[in-house]
Amino acid sequence: MSSSNPGSPSATATSSSSASSFSSKAHSCIQALSSILSTVPSSVSSSSSLLHDPTVSSQISTLLRDPDSGSGDNNLCRWLYDTFHSPDPELKLVVLRFVPIVAGIYLSRIALRKSLAGFEAILLALYAHETTARDGQPISVNVPDLTQPSIYHEAKSSVKTQATELNLAVISPTLEPHGTMRSSRRARIVGVALELYYSKISQMPVSSKLEFCEFCDIWATGIQNKPSSSSSSKQKTILLPWELLQPSLRILGHCLLGAHKSKKLYEAASIATKSLYERSLHDIDAKAILATSSLLRLEKMALDPKLNVDHTEIDMSLAL
Amino acid sequence: MLCACSGEQFKFEDAPQSPESLATRDFSASGLSSRTGDWESKLEDVQVDEVESTLKEALSLNYEEARALLGRLEYQRGNFDAALQVFQGIDIKGLTPRMTTAIVERTRLRKSRSKADIIPPSVMSMHSVSLLLEAIFLKAKSLEELGHIKEAAKECKLILDVVEAALPNGMHEGIAEDCKLQEMFHRALELLPNLWIKIGYLNEAITAYRRALIKPWNLDSQRLASVQKNLAAILLYGGVETSLPPPLRVWGLTTPNCIEEAILLLLALMQKVAFGEIKWDAEIMDHLNFALSVSGHFELLAAHVEQVSPGIYERADRWYFLALCYAAAGQNEVALNLLKKVSSQSEAKREPDILALLLGAYISSQDPKHAHDGITFARYVIDLEDEMNGHFKAQAHKFLGICYGNAARISISDSERALFQKESLSSLNYAAFNMKEDPEVMFNLSLENAVQRNLDLAFDNAMKYSSVVAENSGRGWKLLALILSADRRFKDAETILEFASDEASGSDQFELLRLKAVLQIAQERPKQAIETYSILLSQIQAQREAQSNNSGHAKSSHTENIAERNMEMAVWQDLATVYTKFGSWPDAEICLNKAKSIEFYSPKSWHTTGLLFEAQSLYKEALVSFSVSLSIEPDYVPSIVSTAAVLIKLGGQSLPVARSFLMNALRLDPTNHDAWMNLGLIAKMEGSLQLAADYFQAAYELKLSAPVEAFT
Repeated sequence: MSSSNPGSPSATATSSSSASSFSSKAHSCIQALSSILSTVPSSVSSSSSLLHDPTVSSQISTLLRDPDSGSGDNNLCRWLYDTFHSPDPELKLVVLRFVPIVAGIYLSRIALRKSLAGFEAILLALYAHETTARDGQPISVNVPDLTQPSIYHEAKSSVKTQATELNLAVISPTLEPHGTMRSSRRARIVGVALELYYSKISQMPVSSKLEFCEFCDIWATGIQNKPSSSSSSKQKTILLPWELLQPSLRILGHCLLGAHKSKKLYEAASIATKSLYERSLHDIDAKAILATSSLLRLEKMALDPKLNVDHTEIDMSLAL
Repeated sequence: MLCACSGEQFKFEDAPQSPESLATRDFSASGLSSRTGDWESKLEDVQVDEVESTLKEALSLNYEEARALLGRLEYQRGNFDAALQVFQGIDIKGLTPRMTTAIVERTRLRKSRSKADIIPPSVMSMHSVSLLLEAIFLKAKSLEELGHIKEAAKECKLILDVVEAALPNGMHEGIAEDCKLQEMFHRALELLPNLWIKIGYLNEAITAYRRALIKPWNLDSQRLASVQKNLAAILLYGGVETSLPPPLRVWGLTTPNCIEEAILLLLALMQKVAFGEIKWDAEIMDHLNFALSVSGHFELLAAHVEQVSPGIYERADRWYFLALCYAAAGQNEVALNLLKKVSSQSEAKREPDILALLLGAYISSQDPKHAHDGITFARYVIDLEDEMNGHFKAQAHKFLGICYGNAARISISDSERALFQKESLSSLNYAAFNMKEDPEVMFNLSLENAVQRNLDLAFDNAMKYSSVVAENSGRGWKLLALILSADRRFKDAETILEFASDEASGSDQFELLRLKAVLQIAQERPKQAIETYSILLSQIQAQREAQSNNSGHAKSSHTENIAERNMEMAVWQDLATVYTKFGSWPDAEICLNKAKSIEFYSPKSWHTTGLLFEAQSLYKEALVSFSVSLSIEPDYVPSIVSTAAVLIKLGGQSLPVARSFLMNALRLDPTNHDAWMNLGLIAKMEGSLQLAADYFQAAYELKLSAPVEAFT
């Protein structure tokens, strides 16, 4: 169990005045969950323990993977939906922890034409939350103008200036409110849920990120080799438009090159990135080829000991 | 200490210490210091004061120095526990203010020392400060080795605090060349963020990196670059959003987010590479590649690839890389030109790059005008003597099939067209056999069969496509509806469109709605069609209003704007046709004016205008309109056929001219049943009844399998 910075002061700031109301919310939430799961350990008593308890998350994951999960009357989906609407931000994190598996299974099951209203309700709730939080506004990335000095560099006059229009790019377009899922909106709605997940990724447990890598690989290859699924292993092609790939690549970049300590996560991310690269070659998707191939090269360089000299290692010949 | 004028000012810190000083002894023993040999010569009278003061100071400091040296010895032996114990005996907290003072005094004096300045004897020597800083640093390293990372970070931070308190503006040209203080400080700068990262305190790590970068600390350019690169990497992949504190937001605009800060660092690094200040580093390029890719700055990425100095990439690799950037930025023409270079003769010596060739084939398949380039690219891949890449070869057959289909549609020779169509189907069938589940193959197999009026095969493949693609696309539904319309199954086509337009959005939805209206017209339900059109117009209007509310981001929806304008124009043209057909001349005219106000030079608008005149028996005006249409687009088949039809009505000497118009139309579009029909009329007027019957028969059969609108 390790979120990237569990003890970091900035990660645990919770206003104390609302803490008591939050803890009662957490309590009723855990009670509701105990009627769905077979066992909820007594140690699970707060939002934070709910987020990090491995027995709870593995039970929820197993239930979500059930072939009949995700329908409109599914208790667990209902619970995730309600929990996300709790005012306690930590309880929202508990729901976000399951975004990879919900999005993963949802996209893999579209072709089966089963009712997935339970999953859709959760994803739409995440989408609506983000729409409100951003007031529908797009998120763009400004490339700084190097002709202006910054804290990191001095301006050099002879540098070729880029046209200003090159400097702004929208990475997440305007969000329109959507109350229902449509196939044409699906990728965007799931993509926004992944954006939300990415924004909290430093607080997500490794097991959740591992699930993301697992599903990323399934989306890319269409092959499901988990023994838990009894159905056929090869699935129908899942389209991977950029609005879905873009947030996925950022999450994958974190799993592959982020400063965490999980070897398992590095390996899972490496497999998923390779699969996505192969897939992007097959689709001849230039954007995805550029992003995935750079990740693979960076991974290779990160593993090359020649390129990783520790400058702080004391070289005794230089000592006083 | 009065040696300022002696030219030795940079070495004053190294003035000999008391012979009792362990530090001095250690120096001479190790023999590694720069303070070798000639120090005796420096021992001038003026330095006696200093020696004296050091001696006095030494009474209290020797103990600390001794510990520092002993600790280092233990550390060097790998006895981190013992080293730590020794270091813990030093009262670092108590000494830090004096260390700071010492740095202030001695660096200030070095810069602007006059003979009158006297260093108070209580001020530590620079050497002592260095020794103590090293002790703190080694204490941090020992703690790190023992797994007490957080404590290590605290010790490490202490070094920075001491030096930064003394030098609030950084050190521009260094404190002194042979002073180990600077080296210890630099190592602490580099170690601190690493320690925070080790225990997952990424926010603290980012702060530590920024601290190392925002003031000049005289790090050599390669090490500075390495810190910048590491900060960029943690900002890109760390997954924490730590915006710059307000005082640091120097480069204007709004709050820079992590990815923007990372891009700034990487761009600054690329600039250093360009100016030769640091050596080429593939990692910087790949971080930048990733950052600009996920943020959609593909043109900027291309600009940076272009600036990479020659020799870094092989030429063909560079062209492929650039082509990917331009293709990702939507600049297919530029990408295609680069890819042609890859496959050109000059690169024949090199192993041809199958990925570049496939990209070329793929881009060419997107636009009929590049059909022949696409055929060249795809053939290149297929002809490679390479058994390993069977999958890529199947891909190449797919693009070959698509490009042959496109080539057939722009071909002006009947025999050539027939050949291309045959090649298209055989390539696509080959691809389908080798890539059974590939949706693109199925879609194009359906489309090509539809164009060649093999409606059953077209239908089967369209159905396969929609069952394979979990997410159904608008174009799939549209094709299916058109195939059904060609089969006279209007009701089924409409049902599909109803369902599809519920699922679709944006311009896809507009196209499906318009097709629904066209189907309604085909079924002689003009009132319903007009209703559908008005719904469509109001939806276009609504989308336009929504867009104007977000005017700041118009760039991303530029192509959508064009599609929207074209759609609106098509609606007015369709409505004009409906009103013309039912004799509402004024309404038809209003609609045409609307269409022309959107785009004056549209061949279809002028063709429809001609039809309106023709319906009013204003044949001369009709002919003028058709010829305007043809002057805009000489191969616009409907206007060619309509011109012929009017000429037939005028009769007499016009008939041979009409026939030559029709033959031209059929050369361009052999399935045009109106042209066959009119040819039949001419033959009948000329008394060739058998020929007329044949023409009418052809027209009848073609009309039976004609979609309500062209498939492509």
